[in-house]
Amino acid sequence: MRRRRIYNPLTELLAAVLLVVLVLVVNRWEFSLAVLVLVVVPAVVSSGRPRQIGLAVAVVAGPLLLSSLLLHGLFYPEGSTVLADLGPARVTAEGLSFAALMGLRMSVFTGVLLTAAMTLEVPELLATMTHRGWNRKLVFVVGSAVGLIPHVALRARQITRAQQARGLVVGRGPLARLRALLTVTTPLVIGLLVDASERNHMLGARGFSSTVARTSYLPDTDTPGQRIARRVMLAVTAVFSTAWLILPVVTG
Amino acid sequence: MISIESTSFAYDDGAPLLVGVTLAVQPGEYVVVAGASASGKTTLARLLAGQTGADAGAVFRGAVTLDGETIRFDGAPTDPRIDPAAWSARVGFVAQGAWGQLSMMSASVGEEIAFGPSNLGVPTDQLRSLVADVAAALTLTPLLNHDPRRLSGGQLQRTVIAAAMAQRPAVLVLDEPFQGLDDDSAQDVADALEVLRGAGTAIVVCEPMLPRAAPEGARVLALADGRPVFDGLLTDARGAGLRRYGIGTAGDPPRLDPASDPTGPHGRELVTLRGVGFSYPSGRRGDDRSACLAGVDLSLHAGEIVALRGSNGSGKSTLLQHLNGLCRADAGSVSLAGVPILRQPTGALAACVGFLFQDTDQQLFERTVLREVSYGPFAAGHRRDDAVRRASEALERVGLGALEEAHPYELGFVQRRLVALASIIATGPAVWALDEPTAGLDDPARTLLAALVTAHARGGGAVVLATHDEAFARAVAHRSVRLEGGRIMPEDHPSV
Ligand SMILES: Nc1ncnc2c1ncn2[C@@H]1O[C@H](COP(=O)(O)OP(=O)(O)OP(=O)(O)O)[C@@H](O)[C@H]1O
Ligand SMILES: [Mg+2]
Repeated sequence: MRRRRIYNPLTELLAAVLLVVLVLVVNRWEFSLAVLVLVVVPAVVSSGRPRQIGLAVAVVAGPLLLSSLLLHGLFYPEGSTVLADLGPARVTAEGLSFAALMGLRMSVFTGVLLTAAMTLEVPELLATMTHRGWNRKLVFVVGSAVGLIPHVALRARQITRAQQARGLVVGRGPLARLRALLTVTTPLVIGLLVDASERNHMLGARGFSSTVARTSYLPDTDTPGQRIARRVMLAVTAVFSTAWLILPVVTG
Repeated sequence: MISIESTSFAYDDGAPLLVGVTLAVQPGEYVVVAGASASGKTTLARLLAGQTGADAGAVFRGAVTLDGETIRFDGAPTDPRIDPAAWSARVGFVAQGAWGQLSMMSASVGEEIAFGPSNLGVPTDQLRSLVADVAAALTLTPLLNHDPRRLSGGQLQRTVIAAAMAQRPAVLVLDEPFQGLDDDSAQDVADALEVLRGAGTAIVVCEPMLPRAAPEGARVLALADGRPVFDGLLTDARGAGLRRYGIGTAGDPPRLDPASDPTGPHGRELVTLRGVGFSYPSGRRGDDRSACLAGVDLSLHAGEIVALRGSNGSGKSTLLQHLNGLCRADAGSVSLAGVPILRQPTGALAACVGFLFQDTDQQLFERTVLREVSYGPFAAGHRRDDAVRRASEALERVGLGALEEAHPYELGFVQRRLVALASIIATGPAVWALDEPTAGLDDPARTLLAALVTAHARGGGAVVLATHDEAFARAVAHRSVRLEGGRIMPEDHPSV
């Protein structure tokens, strides 16, 4: 069962994006770690689908982390405290800490964005944007992009089922599941590429690209309070980021 | 109202289609475009829907006229593009394959039906009554709050049709809309189309066979190999000998080779279901975890063909998925050749049970037809070259030997269906579980299917097929089992 939704999806999406901005601006590992422990992990755990999100984060962030560790851990040019000399490669303390910083940031990014994307109520998001009278093109772009996520998930599930019905044995452990995920990748990508143009036609045939103001079947779940909250969040982040970036320059 | 004059149409480097085809449809007219597989009817439907395929490298020469405005195409890159938004405001289109029609931006059937009109700016209060009306006409009202991704095949098909009807188009083009519908639903759809037609909507329906029933004055354009072979009233089409073009009449029994008369059950019990109960995990909105199957008993012996009948949403597909482990019973037991299905992985059962999905697009996933068909035998433990040999043989048997290197997505609907069937044959399981195997097939393919099924039973296999095709069930099956509301009903036609 999914968690009960408290905030409007637009508020959640904005919060996720602003969090990513903050992590970028406040370029400190302590901050990234705090966000990871205090925000990302609780969000994933309470999302109602921690396993799927965890797996998705692992699949996306894992290779990035590994390559960052190899690259910076072994070949960090400014590193002076050498921990191990491996000929052309040197393991330096500076390199390792830089790799840790980058890794933390990447984990936060993927964690925040994937959790938001995978728990987002696409219909409600579209309805909110429609009720707020957002630009039609923007609704189209955001709608087709986030509508793609459930489409991909469904497609992946169908392909695994088809493969299993034809003899693919999927074990129960996490490793076996990861392997199943990999066998689904190639057909999934091909299928999605084939679908893409079909989906475009379908959305076109249903008038999604039309330019008249869109209306919504769903009632507006957005509240004035949340609208204010979104503006405040945006303003606070903007002011804070500016201050954070400018103060050190001004004070020298 | 809408008309097409096609000189020719060609996909990438395929043979020319729609050579010298003209079609004009007036308001309130009902036109059936009939044609066997690869005759070009889906291409014609797409053209009417404003999809000229130019973005995919197809070349169309001809003209399309809508409301007196003619657009000409010379097959050149400078050809005009049709604006899908403007076109869709006047022409509604239900393409084949209901899954691909879902917007994936709706959490409920109601929103899905409202998606088109809300894009066209219909005010919210009108939107609500529009959805309520269309849903009532297609008996979708009880499903309005369901997740459109969790419907039975027939329920989904009705949802997609309702969504197109809700756009209130001046022209409605439907590619095989009755596929997978039970008799009552098909009647509901036909009635709703009649109401639209009465209000002046022009209706074009593509079918692989001539319909058994159609409104009076219905016209037929029959296509074969991309050329028109008949244009006239449906009543005249029936006597026009269209069978030589592979166009049969829906509801006719398949022609069976008399020598291939199925022998009937003659061996051990291959499938046993005892008191099977199952419910789907409840969706986000539906908090009711209502039972989908309850107390289902079924047994299937070697040599036996059983037809599983029942209305849309009665649980046929769910029941079939218990045979190969895609669904696991909450109560009761399922055994294959005496071995109970417990916690074995689904993939391990594929060697015993071959499964044909209701929706072919859910079944095919490989890059070439040969790879697709050899996937099963390879997974079942055959050596690679052995698997390929078995795949080639299976493709020969379904008549697709020449298409080994084709991409499954490039094939037409019927061919994809046959590829899926070949993938079962190549693996060689004793039990075939076929979900709506005849839906959307043309006459030659349906006849071929009847022959393959009976041959499999004669060879000691067993077949259970969920179907709405009564004539097929009568001709091929030894007995039929009726499912209603997830329970087996006492059979009231012992003759079947
Ligand atoms: N994935 C799913 N999640 C939840 N409910 C489902 C799911 N698939 C089907 N159902 C529901 O279970 C019931 C039985 O569906 P099923 O697909 O077995 O019907 P069916 O007899 O095959 O119908 P059809 O003739 O339309 O194919 C329906 O009420 C359907 O809405
Ligand atoms: Mg079904």
